[in-house]
Amino acid sequence: MTEVLLVASTWPQFGVLTTSVRKFNELGARVRLAGTFPMDAEGIPEQLAEVALAEAAHQLPRNLKHRSQALRRRASKSPAGLRVWMQSHRDSWLRSHARNADVLVALDQGAVYTVWRLAEYNRAAAAQFGLAPALRAVEALKEQGGSTGGRGSVLPPLHAVTRDVKRSVDNLPAQIIRAATPRPVMRSGVGAKLWRTALAAPGVPIRVRAATSRYVAEGMRWAGRSSGAALALTDAAAKIPDPKLKADLYDEAMMQEVGKGISPRNMAKAVAARLAHADAEFAKGRTKEAAEALNRALFLDFHRVLHIDQLSSPLAKDAEGFVAPLHRSKAFQALSRPRGRKVPAAPAPTDRPLRLLITTSANDNFLHLVKEHFGDHPGVELRYLDLAANKHLKRISWAAPRMLQDRLADGQSDYQEEVERLMRPHLDWADTVFLEWAAGPASMLTTIDPGDTRIVVRLHSYEAFTRWPHMTDFSRVDDLVFIAPHVRDLTTSLVPMLRGEQAPRMPVIDNAMDLSGFDRPKLAEARYNLGLIGISQVAKDPKWALDVLERVRKHDDRYRLILVGDDMNPKTSRATREYLAEFEELLAPLEESGAVVRLGPTDDVPSKLVEIGTILSSSVREGCHVGVMEGAASGAVPVVRDWPFYAGKPNSARTLYPEGWVVGSPQEAAERILKVTATEESWRAAGDLAKEHALTVWDWPVVQKHFEKLFLQNG
Amino acid sequence: MSSSPPSGPPAEGKRPHVIYLAIGFPPAAKSSTYRMRETANQFVKVGWDVTVVNIARESWELDSGIDLSLLEQVDPRVDIVELPLTREDLETDIRLYSEDRALNPNGWVAKLRRRQTKTFPEPNFGEWRSDLEQAVLKIHREKPADLLLASCVPYVNLAAAWKLWEEEQVPYAVDFRDGWSIDVIDGVEAFARDSEEGRWEKKVLDQAVSLWVVNDPIAEHYRARYPEFADRVHVVRNGYDADSSPGRVHKPDRESGLVFGYLGTVNFSIPHLETVLNAWRAAREKEPLLANARFELRGHIGNGAHRGANRHAEVLKEAEADGVFFGGPAAKAEVASIYASWDAMVLILIGGRYVTSGKVYEYMATGLPIVSAHAVEHDASNVLRGHPLWTGAVGIDEEGLTESFIKAAYMAVETTDEEHAEAMAHADQFTREALMSVAVKNLVEELAK
Repeated sequence: MTEVLLVASTWPQFGVLTTSVRKFNELGARVRLAGTFPMDAEGIPEQLAEVALAEAAHQLPRNLKHRSQALRRRASKSPAGLRVWMQSHRDSWLRSHARNADVLVALDQGAVYTVWRLAEYNRAAAAQFGLAPALRAVEALKEQGGSTGGRGSVLPPLHAVTRDVKRSVDNLPAQIIRAATPRPVMRSGVGAKLWRTALAAPGVPIRVRAATSRYVAEGMRWAGRSSGAALALTDAAAKIPDPKLKADLYDEAMMQEVGKGISPRNMAKAVAARLAHADAEFAKGRTKEAAEALNRALFLDFHRVLHIDQLSSPLAKDAEGFVAPLHRSKAFQALSRPRGRKVPAAPAPTDRPLRLLITTSANDNFLHLVKEHFGDHPGVELRYLDLAANKHLKRISWAAPRMLQDRLADGQSDYQEEVERLMRPHLDWADTVFLEWAAGPASMLTTIDPGDTRIVVRLHSYEAFTRWPHMTDFSRVDDLVFIAPHVRDLTTSLVPMLRGEQAPRMPVIDNAMDLSGFDRPKLAEARYNLGLIGISQVAKDPKWALDVLERVRKHDDRYRLILVGDDMNPKTSRATREYLAEFEELLAPLEESGAVVRLGPTDDVPSKLVEIGTILSSSVREGCHVGVMEGAASGAVPVVRDWPFYAGKPNSARTLYPEGWVVGSPQEAAERILKVTATEESWRAAGDLAKEHALTVWDWPVVQKHFEKLFLQNG
Repeated sequence: MSSSPPSGPPAEGKRPHVIYLAIGFPPAAKSSTYRMRETANQFVKVGWDVTVVNIARESWELDSGIDLSLLEQVDPRVDIVELPLTREDLETDIRLYSEDRALNPNGWVAKLRRRQTKTFPEPNFGEWRSDLEQAVLKIHREKPADLLLASCVPYVNLAAAWKLWEEEQVPYAVDFRDGWSIDVIDGVEAFARDSEEGRWEKKVLDQAVSLWVVNDPIAEHYRARYPEFADRVHVVRNGYDADSSPGRVHKPDRESGLVFGYLGTVNFSIPHLETVLNAWRAAREKEPLLANARFELRGHIGNGAHRGANRHAEVLKEAEADGVFFGGPAAKAEVASIYASWDAMVLILIGGRYVTSGKVYEYMATGLPIVSAHAVEHDASNVLRGHPLWTGAVGIDEEGLTESFIKAAYMAVETTDEEHAEAMAHADQFTREALMSVAVKNLVEELAK
């Protein structure tokens, strides 16, 4: 009998496994399966039974929970394959069956190292990666009688012992420090302080200081002290003169906190250190290294935990002040130098239709009407290019380090050549390019001179909170279209090129929306239903809406809140996960009592709005809140929070919407709702006014004229 | 480079000799194998001695597999040299792994690929350069060659062609099949002219006697890229082997269920496969004629450690309840009988206007209805245009494909013998033998100029 031992670190593909086990059995082999994946998870025991492995499957330790903390800390820094081995190697079932196996098989990448190590104990067995090769090995064995004959030794071969001993010695300093920074010590304020004092001690060699600070930070993190870990690293960084190492430590410190969803206290230092590193490399002419450092500085400065996943952002408080350090950096100055274009954009042709290329990277949510309209327009020949649908274009569209290197090397890079090669045919064809979203593709496209093709880019809102406008050469853009004035204000305050001589035209055009389908009769009960459409991001701040709901329910418990749309994805970031957890906790009793109804995602918003009498915008920031505009078009009464990111500025929710829609607080919102919905007549009258405004200002027949003017009359 | 003139056509009376770099020659079971086999046979037919250079058959077992029946149709006068080269990235014997590789198999292979491109700018194959160069020099010294024909992939063959030209002035031709500087899947240039690949391509093509490619769009690309070379670019379509055709009028059996078939390497993406399977499921639910129908897929799936056991295999296994059956690779000798047991073909192809694929010719020759599951703008559409039993290309669209399956089902049961014969006749112009005999004859004539 041939003995086959399969090892898996993730759930195997059971369909394929079933077929293979049958084939192994037909060849006279007995199959066993050892796995670190959870074998008792839902459906797995049944599947193992189907594969005919129920009796022959063995659960290996699924983690290192019961092992020493020093080992677990080492494991967390080890490759996945080594972790699987660390979990499994003391398992007596595995060792025993591995010694007796004729064929050892790794079913996935993570199991390869374990099989490699087991094969050291059983020198006679075949060791294969994959089921098909394992079947071939069994076939070959069958021809020789079915078994390897010899059985493995209890002891590993000498060379393996020597290697392991050497490795233990090599790991000694790490082990010592890990042993000296265990959880109880690091959890205590005294222990943590002691280590931080040691890190700041004078005369410690640079490398030792850096390495020690990393182990101490690791210990603190394991003890649940994220901020302590960050402090340990920043203390050491402050004493280190080498720009790269200093920047690395500040960076690691910042990421300790960012990883926990916390706005880091030392972000400014981390960015400054990385910019100093970039400038030092740039001064030496090392553009690749400078680009990598600058890329990292921008990554840290515009980290989504700071700007997207929080209820506020440093940009909301002082946008110009926030980006000032960037503008002081020599490397950044080289990046943001306008290069212009050799010839201006040619006017739209008069003797033939305009060749219009509409392009985006996957997200065409706001393009449907524009595409449809100009696809069928006698004056336009339309082409559509999805940059994400082509792997070459996708690769160049988001290649931030390569873009930066190109700018720092003054256009002398293979990136520029690649963009030229892939985008020039499109630019040659088009009279006008309309690029949706001012993100990576805008930086990519402006890497090259567009010739006489007119470039129109649309910036919605989120892009202003990212690095991309800072990496876009707006001197090569003819029109930067915004969807709201307050977003234009923020963006121009951030990007000096948009305030200079070579700035593009910056029209504001409302989003293309077909609102006619929203005008449906509302049920009388809708008067007491508040609605919130879209709750998938922290910035939507649905907790604000719950606050408003509670206030109106104090007066009349017929009020309900209807939530429409996908929930937040907790995997987005820790900050999102934490917000979602708090929101769910508040929501649970309200949902149970029927005060809140969650409808989930829908393709048919108009029919949901039939039941909604008041449409809320609870967001901390918006470009233009599409849900509110649709709600207004349906005849729901809009109640819009004065989006805190923009409140008090020359342009804000108050200037975007008619007077009376916008409120400064949940209390003010509640008062407006109670007042407007006091009678059915007053509620319907207010709804009709909102509807009239929406349809005369934002509906597609109105907005399409602005797009026609933009494309066909050169703005 | 030596200043002596090229060796030119052979002296009268002597049998000329071609060294044919055909990595993928039988018994390798690759899609290009048939083209290579026919090319070699045609050279023998026009009076040439042929030495084929391939890699060892054990190496193909790790790759796309082997099919010994393919050797039966190779002219016995063809000499085959098998070099002991393997693709290191596909190794599955863990005992041959270093500890670094065992710890991080994917990372190790990524590093390997970077290293391989240092010798020649082609991952997986670059390091074969020296062995291939030495092999062709050795063959030439033992039996002087009058021509070298390099079939690519792998492109590292070009380095060997160049070496023999540089050192011994043996003229060469290139069969690019799908081209190098064009990415046929995405329809864009694959690399810049001044990249290492670009410099290699230009250098080699500048001196080549002839360049073969499989369709007009690829030929147009090369003619536009190298105008000075335009008249040496020739379209040599893949065609089909007459012995793969079932060669009979088909009689579907509605009682036991219609059988739809796909034969070829499973190389399309998972979403592509899922769209086809979803459409199949929907068509079975919607159309009573398909309620008991089956969909059989045959061919190679995955390679290396994932051979026969990748995600595609799992998706197909999960679709068994919908009458889907994956039967694994088919030997060339079985192909005609497999086609004979099917009632309609499902043509699942990747890419667009630059891709033709050899499958389309073979499918046409079956005379069976063809469901096209590929982009609308695809060279296969050009080939199929005018085929009476083609459902048309609707793109990779679930609803459109559902209707195509239904349409094909009706075509299968309603088509008369005459219509089937007409459909088979549509393929006549594309027999591989006819196409390759012209191509080889033209190449020999070009060499004599």
